Amino acid sequence: MVARQSRSDRRELVRERVFDAVSLTAAVALVATIVLFFLQLFIASRDSRAAFGLPFLWRSEWNPVTEQFGALPMIVGTLITGFGALLVSTPFALGVAIFLADYASKRVAGPVKSLIGLLGGLPSVIFGLWGLFVLVPLVSRFEVWFGHLVGSEALVTAGTTGVGLLSAILLLAIMILPFSASLILESLIVVPAELREGALALGATKWDTIQNIELPYVRRSTVGALVLALGRALGETMAVTMVIGNGIRMPHSLFDPSNTLASAIANQFLEATSPLYISSLIELGLVLFVLAILINVAARMILRRGVET
Amino acid sequence: MSGRKVKNGLMSVLVAAAAVLIIAVLLVMMWHIFFSGVRYLNWDFFTKPPAVFGESGGGVFNAIVGTVLITLVASAIGTPFGMFAGIYVAEHEEQRFASAVRLCADALQGVPSIVIGIFGYTFLVARFRSYSALSASIALAFMFIPTTARVTEEVLLLVPSSLKEAAYALGARRSNVIWNVSIKSAASGITSGLLTSMARIAGETAPLLFTAFGSRYVEWNMLRPMSALPLQIYIDASSPYPAQQQQAWSAAFVLILIILLLQYGMRFVISRVLRVKA
Repeated sequence: MVARQSRSDRRELVRERVFDAVSLTAAVALVATIVLFFLQLFIASRDSRAAFGLPFLWRSEWNPVTEQFGALPMIVGTLITGFGALLVSTPFALGVAIFLADYASKRVAGPVKSLIGLLGGLPSVIFGLWGLFVLVPLVSRFEVWFGHLVGSEALVTAGTTGVGLLSAILLLAIMILPFSASLILESLIVVPAELREGALALGATKWDTIQNIELPYVRRSTVGALVLALGRALGETMAVTMVIGNGIRMPHSLFDPSNTLASAIANQFLEATSPLYISSLIELGLVLFVLAILINVAARMILRRGVET
Repeated sequence: MSGRKVKNGLMSVLVAAAAVLIIAVLLVMMWHIFFSGVRYLNWDFFTKPPAVFGESGGGVFNAIVGTVLITLVASAIGTPFGMFAGIYVAEHEEQRFASAVRLCADALQGVPSIVIGIFGYTFLVARFRSYSALSASIALAFMFIPTTARVTEEVLLLVPSSLKEAAYALGARRSNVIWNVSIKSAASGITSGLLTSMARIAGETAPLLFTAFGSRYVEWNMLRPMSALPLQIYIDASSPYPAQQQQAWSAAFVLILIILLLQYGMRFVISRVLRVKA
């Protein structure tokens, strides 16, 4: 004999199905979003792709007047600012993380951690505001001083503005520091205490322990964290836009005004009138999108394998 | 003293110096934002729309309204998608597709905000031929969904399996267990995750540049261009007029207040109302 399904049973079954369907839909939508982004940017940039083809990526002329567009100056600007910021901030990020994990007492570490957390959550435009009114004048003064030092009249005259690659690198370095420092700190505090204590018991100094036990232990997650930080720096928009100076030529020195992929879009998109100009800017966005996805997936791969071993 | 010990001492000095330098820079930044912001604050600033270009006075009421509206609508759109995607991943943890979804959420979190902005422009603004606050909200929802999904998943995985098994043993179905057991016991974590995501999108500028566009008037209609605090800060900071630049600092201060309120204040209120520990 089969028990008849009561009405409430059936209702429950329907609810179960609906719940499964809704959560599956949301999951599929998330994956579809990435595809949608790519397709939309790909389609919207067709004019520029038709006009310039793949050489768009290594043409170095970006001229809205003659409608000749090549992404190389922006790609170079993006890589210089991104890697420059990573280079400047990494030693400090490591230093702060090691300080908080191994040297600072709880009373010191607590407030410092919340300060770093607070700055990690500050909007990019506020970093840009600070960069524009505090950092850029400092860089400008340095540029003039440096120009006098090497006897370059061009630097002295250019130095009155202070906007350019150097300002962008310094500001980005400050911006990604809270992010990479807290990620490194997270992995440092899960180093097993036995390992650390074992090394100390063998007569190792504190630094010996850090250098030979802790840092090798967190090597993979630190690399992952730095790649993530690099991804952030490459895609950072507002702060860079405000201090990089919207230069459209290939930069020749660190003091030159330049553009990153992101800042070129932010600076020029609303001024762009011709369809080809707009579509070239959208293609810059496409390049940036692909770059960001690749870097993030790579970082996750590194981090995930770090968990397994 | 042996070389080892010298090195130990030297490195501890270096590490401490790095920490002190960074903390000093961060404190100087906070100091600048706080004092430059407070100096020009007055009551008009909160209640009036901007004055005519180049003149002092006026406020950012239009931008405050815009930020609140755009953020709320974006979170309203993003919350169901993000939460259900997170539930899906947490429930099907071992499956291939679930880890693909998780990877996509992680990758989406890393998509630069300007790309989201330009996507919003081509996908919504160009299609409907008008700048609107709604398109800004939808663009921001694309930033809100992946963070919410990841937080929901992480918090759900922390729910003790004994709790869920007890519910299953009582004959509850899966939707029941998720809804009445997992979500409830993870409510505090999910709430604070949602608030953190809201605080994050409230400060975003780049997705708004080509979608919300900005407006000098107090605007309540989501289908029209609207101002927002981050947008106002960017526009004011790029202005040559000192009055505008001062307004940028004050607007930055107000924006930070809103963000802190979302992150810490709301958490407190909600924990009181819902009687959960957030």
